[in-house]
Amino acid sequence: MKADNAIDLVNVTKKFDEVTAVSKFTVEIRKGEFFSLLGPSGCGKTTTLRMIAGLEVPTEGQILLEGGDVSSTPAYRRNVNTVFQDYALFPHMTVRKNIYFPLKMKKISPSEAETRIERVLRLVNMEGFGNRLPQQLSGGQRQRIALARSLVNEPAALLLDEPLGALDFKLRVAMQKVLKDIQRNVGITFIYVTHDQSEAMTMSDRIAVMKDGLAHQIATPDEIYNNPSTAFVASFIGDMNFVHGTVLDNDGKTCVLDVEGQKVTAKRAVDLGKGAAALVCIRTERVQVNPHRSVENRVSAELSRIIYRGTDYEATCRIGRAELRAVVQAVTWDAALRVGGTVELAWNAEDVIVFPREEEKDVIKYSGEAV
Amino acid sequence: MRGRGTGLKIYGTLIFVFLYFPMVIVLLFSFSPTRTIVGLSGLTLKWYQELFQDPRLLIAFWHTVMVGLCAVAIATVFGTAGAFFVTRVEFPGKGVFRALVMLPFLLPGIIMGVTLLIFFRNLNVHLSMFTILMGHVSFTTPLVMFQVSSRLSRMGPTYRWAAMDLGANPVQTFWHVTLPMIRTALIGAGLLAFTVSFDEIVISYFLTGTWMTLPVYIYGMMRFGLSPKVYAISTIILILSLVLITFMARYTGRSADTYRVRKRDAG
Amino acid sequence: MKRRISKPGEFIKGVPIAVWLLALVAIPLIFTFIMSFYSSSGLVIDRTLTLKNYKLFFTDPLYARILFKTIRLAVAISMLSIAAAFPLAYMVSFKVRRGRNLLFMLCIIPLWVSYLVRIIAWRTILGNRGVINSALMALGLIKEPLTFFLYNQFAIAITLTYICIPFVFIPVYTALEKIPRNLLDAANDLGANELRTFYNVILPLGLPGLVTGFIFSFIIALGDYIIPLQLGGTQGIMFGNLVWSQFGFAFNWPLGAALGFILFIIAVAILGLTSKFGSTEGGFLGE
Repeated sequence: MKADNAIDLVNVTKKFDEVTAVSKFTVEIRKGEFFSLLGPSGCGKTTTLRMIAGLEVPTEGQILLEGGDVSSTPAYRRNVNTVFQDYALFPHMTVRKNIYFPLKMKKISPSEAETRIERVLRLVNMEGFGNRLPQQLSGGQRQRIALARSLVNEPAALLLDEPLGALDFKLRVAMQKVLKDIQRNVGITFIYVTHDQSEAMTMSDRIAVMKDGLAHQIATPDEIYNNPSTAFVASFIGDMNFVHGTVLDNDGKTCVLDVEGQKVTAKRAVDLGKGAAALVCIRTERVQVNPHRSVENRVSAELSRIIYRGTDYEATCRIGRAELRAVVQAVTWDAALRVGGTVELAWNAEDVIVFPREEEKDVIKYSGEAV
Repeated sequence: MRGRGTGLKIYGTLIFVFLYFPMVIVLLFSFSPTRTIVGLSGLTLKWYQELFQDPRLLIAFWHTVMVGLCAVAIATVFGTAGAFFVTRVEFPGKGVFRALVMLPFLLPGIIMGVTLLIFFRNLNVHLSMFTILMGHVSFTTPLVMFQVSSRLSRMGPTYRWAAMDLGANPVQTFWHVTLPMIRTALIGAGLLAFTVSFDEIVISYFLTGTWMTLPVYIYGMMRFGLSPKVYAISTIILILSLVLITFMARYTGRSADTYRVRKRDAG
Repeated sequence: MKRRISKPGEFIKGVPIAVWLLALVAIPLIFTFIMSFYSSSGLVIDRTLTLKNYKLFFTDPLYARILFKTIRLAVAISMLSIAAAFPLAYMVSFKVRRGRNLLFMLCIIPLWVSYLVRIIAWRTILGNRGVINSALMALGLIKEPLTFFLYNQFAIAITLTYICIPFVFIPVYTALEKIPRNLLDAANDLGANELRTFYNVILPLGLPGLVTGFIFSFIIALGDYIIPLQLGGTQGIMFGNLVWSQFGFAFNWPLGAALGFILFIIAVAILGLTSKFGSTEGGFLGE
């Protein structure tokens, strides 16, 4: 609970009747940080955001805003602003009046307000749109105005609830960059809710990955990608192979497993004893097909499907009953490979992640790109 | 769906004739000097002149306007409060509550007439403007509530959240955001309530003493056959309700939002 | 993620509407219910509780006969209204491209045209010296005016049908408008001709609106007493007139209360059915 934190959540819990939406969430969000709450729908990310905004009151726990307890402060007295999923621009007000609204509530003089409105319109690159009505703007433009309206009061933190969800793919990607640039410009803490893992990965300084009200991991994108703390996180982010294995040997630094009768080595701390049922995970792009260099793990497999995806090929291979997918850059793909042939698959021991088998139920099957 | 369906179109046209022929008849009769349609010889405004020389009719007209305006005012307050209640407050049995509130509008008017008559008699309230007004409040309130609550639920809660989030307390939220956004629904509901109230007779007939509204007065006139004056006042009512609906159409329903946008675009 | 019950403080919003509901709906109904157990002797109401009024209703065949007649006529009127309004709604919704909004408005304008004016119009048309008779006489088809137009059930039926058509049109049209147009293309694509598309796609999907429309017109026809008074004559006495007359010249308020309460029960039962089978939205006011 350092004083330079923008927001502290301490054991924050929210129950709706008997359903627990958020369970004992603790996190420190630093000033100027781009922090994302990522998870599938119903994971409690929006509820968490609404509690920070003051639109929901936590059942237990504390919310601190710049060090001060705001747990029971109503939304209109909190120095945080939200960009809603559908923007919630007031349809009966022009763009200018929409942005003026929070200033008016703070009783800021019209002349002062005018300069601030102009400044924030410039920031979102929407000068000259002040007299339009929200209905006369495109989705992306509305998005920018909603952003401007939430920023004009210079809040301690800006909360964004799936702000790009309503936009089409290309616009979404463009807006991601805009958002990131604006955040860097104004230096305000952003708390960003999304179910789109690639969006969270591109923009965030840190991500909290949530499921069923629990924060599974709170870390940097790099950490989350390379060292997922649970099988759920591993499956939700990126493209991951999951195969069953049994621990043969484990000295705390290196773990040797049996996968379909072949040996697989994992070079990392695994908390499983000899003979334990394990879930072995390898990123698809870390699996090499017929490698030239020698690596620790080598298994032979039968090539069962090839899918060409433009920049890369996805090769599905069978090892006994298990299935492994390898994603290979198109430029390095060996055109001689055919379905039904035998290939050698290889990967580094550092790239093998091992979880207890019980976590298999948390694995999200078709994560891929966000739908 | 290609060019077929000629039979349907003929049938549809016949229904339209059926719908509008009676109104045309009333219109024609009000200008006819001879009380018949066949051999219509010239037009006259005589009957309209006579209307303005009938002080009791003018008083009844004034009464109707008064009852209508008062009923709209009261119904708007109760109906809007009710609309906020049913859209924002959650409790078990809300569906039943909603249905109960709609009853005075959905039930045959005679039931409201009977129950209110018995009610007022039990309380020793004499039949007067007050009893008629209460009768009108009974069925205009659900009307306003229905219009406003459907606007509120179509609006959803996000605008309110956004306002609170941007620093508006509940009163400011209502005044600056919610109220302007339901304004057209309120106006539309008010016009609708006035139109219905202006015309009401089934309930009023039970609750009328000597203080009469226009429909009750006309009803009295009709007992002695249909005088041309009846046609003249009917035509006036007809035109009045057409004007009211035209305004109403601008304020209620989906058309209102698109209407506003279109107007701005053009301007 | 919705709370099932709001905080107690929120319920203060319900006070005005609850007051209104109690004062103008609930208590009057309770008073009526209580009065239905009183009896009347001459001009005085006897406040000892008795089942006399209900006994009379169930034993005197007059009441059952008129109620049955009223229900039969109300069903006929509802059917007629559907016969007129359904094709109209179908046409406006599916068959018209240009001027659809205008046609829609034309269909619902009669809803807001004065009830009394419509009665006046039909009396004018059907009367002995009315439009039809004058026209027929002028054409030389008849010598004496035909009397069978007015003061019977036919006159009631035609006038009430006229009044009910928009009430059927609106829910049916709303239901039809909700049918996704690509569904029709799909049906055509699968080789269904127009008639079969109508039976297999449009009719089932439009049914909730149809049920709502039927019930609206049924309720309107069931409780009306002004139209029978104006156009029904002696053979057009309806249940509503029976109720009305207890408060008028018969001056038997307790019996009127009992009959009114019976009508209330019937109406509520039927409205209950609508909420089960019909569509509630777009029901009557267009929003």
